[in-house]
Amino acid sequence: MTNTYYEFFCPVKVIAGKAALEHIPYELTGLAAKRPMIITDKGVRAAGLLDPVIAACEESGLDIISIYDDVPPDSSTTVVRDIAAIYRKEKCDSIIAIGGGSAIDTGKAVNILVSEGGTDIAKYTGAGVIKQPLKPFFVVPTTAGTGSEVTSVAVITDEKKGVKLPFSSSFLLPNAAIIDPRMTLTLPPHITAATAMDAMTHAVESFTCMAKNPLSDAYATAAIKKVSQSLLQVMDNPKDNDGRLELAQASTMAGIAFSNSMVGLVHSLGHATGAICHLPHGMCMSLYLPYVLEYNLETIREPLGELLLYLEGPEIYAATPASRRAEASISALRKLRDALYKRCQLPRTLKETDKVTEDQLDAIAEMALDDGSIMFNPKEVTLKDARAVLQRAWA
Amino acid sequence: MLAKRIQPMASQARRLYVELMFQVMGRALQAVSEVDSEVQAEAKALPKGFLFEMMVMPDGSKLIVEHVGEGRFHYHGDSAPRPVDVSIRFKHLAHAFLVLSFQEKTSVAFANDRMLVDGDVSYAVRMTRVLNRLESFILPKIIAKRAVKEYPENLQLPEKLISAAQIYLKVATHFVQSARA
Ligand SMILES: [Zn+2]
Repeated sequence: MTNTYYEFFCPVKVIAGKAALEHIPYELTGLAAKRPMIITDKGVRAAGLLDPVIAACEESGLDIISIYDDVPPDSSTTVVRDIAAIYRKEKCDSIIAIGGGSAIDTGKAVNILVSEGGTDIAKYTGAGVIKQPLKPFFVVPTTAGTGSEVTSVAVITDEKKGVKLPFSSSFLLPNAAIIDPRMTLTLPPHITAATAMDAMTHAVESFTCMAKNPLSDAYATAAIKKVSQSLLQVMDNPKDNDGRLELAQASTMAGIAFSNSMVGLVHSLGHATGAICHLPHGMCMSLYLPYVLEYNLETIREPLGELLLYLEGPEIYAATPASRRAEASISALRKLRDALYKRCQLPRTLKETDKVTEDQLDAIAEMALDDGSIMFNPKEVTLKDARAVLQRAWA
Repeated sequence: MLAKRIQPMASQARRLYVELMFQVMGRALQAVSEVDSEVQAEAKALPKGFLFEMMVMPDGSKLIVEHVGEGRFHYHGDSAPRPVDVSIRFKHLAHAFLVLSFQEKTSVAFANDRMLVDGDVSYAVRMTRVLNRLESFILPKIIAKRAVKEYPENLQLPEKLISAAQIYLKVATHFVQSARA
């Protein structure tokens, strides 16, 4: 194995557990930040999730200077420009993004504008354009799935051109990610399930795709174990604080894993399906995962077999002959999907979504083939292959 | 300057090899796009006038091709007529050598962070498929298997022999033409 080479990078301080939010003022002061701006969405505000953050800051004599709570589900260049203008007008000096993937991506993009200058975020699109540290930036995730708090990318829609602009730089990473179980406690069941399956997919793809490495493997397996052990418990008892924290940590760990080793065909198909049929990302992940693993099976038999230990525990792992473990891992994931379907009707096939028609499959296949993550799928994918996987996922 | 003089011969040889391989690949890309329907089908999705570059950082050898329409590529040598649309950049000469001497698959090199993509990723993905197809055409099967993730099933031996011969012939004529020019 002297031919192996890899890179691993995660400079984000993780602040996790009980009363984690109360560490925000101390951490801000440590970066000489005194005038923070909160970027979030209406749902987060309505769920009352801002209150503990604001209270935590005020109790330490730190005022939140401005709150922008109108981030749309698909954030745009206009939104980013508007928020940057408010930030400048209010003389803010730091950003706290609170929410899911969209609020976090918006926070990253606003941070580029207010640090680098200008009003046109499109100028900074691409890889490696930003060459210096940005303003102090904190992320408080309110879903347990995307892992955006530890990834160095953001995607913002350019409405005028109708394209999605990618931004990529290690300087987009927040200074700290604050994982507090209070923030995910009120997440509704179907979102809990879908986002946790997104985290599961990040970990499984990270462990079985081409850029896997020993460090990302450690994060991936730990994340899989946490999701396997806690997801159904939380589904049955949504107020389970410990279980919520386990899922939130799993999501961050899976995020660290995949941001260093990338994802594969499940994500290529999921991105395409999301764009064409407007299905939530996590739902697509859960849906495609077993079908893609079956497609990749002979290329990933060994690593996939190893995952049985983390999916089902040591007894079942030991009782399963080595030659059957890969199939058993897929069965374990199918079993989990069935259990989720029973609890919240999280679809297992495209037909069960009721949002996809069979004549859309060709368009999805074609779009998936152009997705960046397909490069890291362990098995080469042709249009014919992608169509075949979609056909199996149909019903 | 001093560093340049004390560079080992091996490095000089690698530099020359990478430069030569870029030239062969550039000409082969043009040639293969004139005969292979699958490459044409991939290329047709690219905008007309699309410029693709492969280069060695910071300022080493380059390969530039343009999609001139109808799925055909035109090889521009190492200078682009205008800013390129997609650039695949090897971080170091050593990494370019690993890939171009078929010791490391293109897909593995991507996974290993050996190179950067600048520009629209979906076009980069498409170009990687074109390069894979190209490599399985111009290389003997045993080496091609090392170079690409999967050797295409639909590349039957007779077809391969005929096409490879056609491509070699075209590469050769391009060489002769540019040697004259
Ligand atoms: Zn995902």
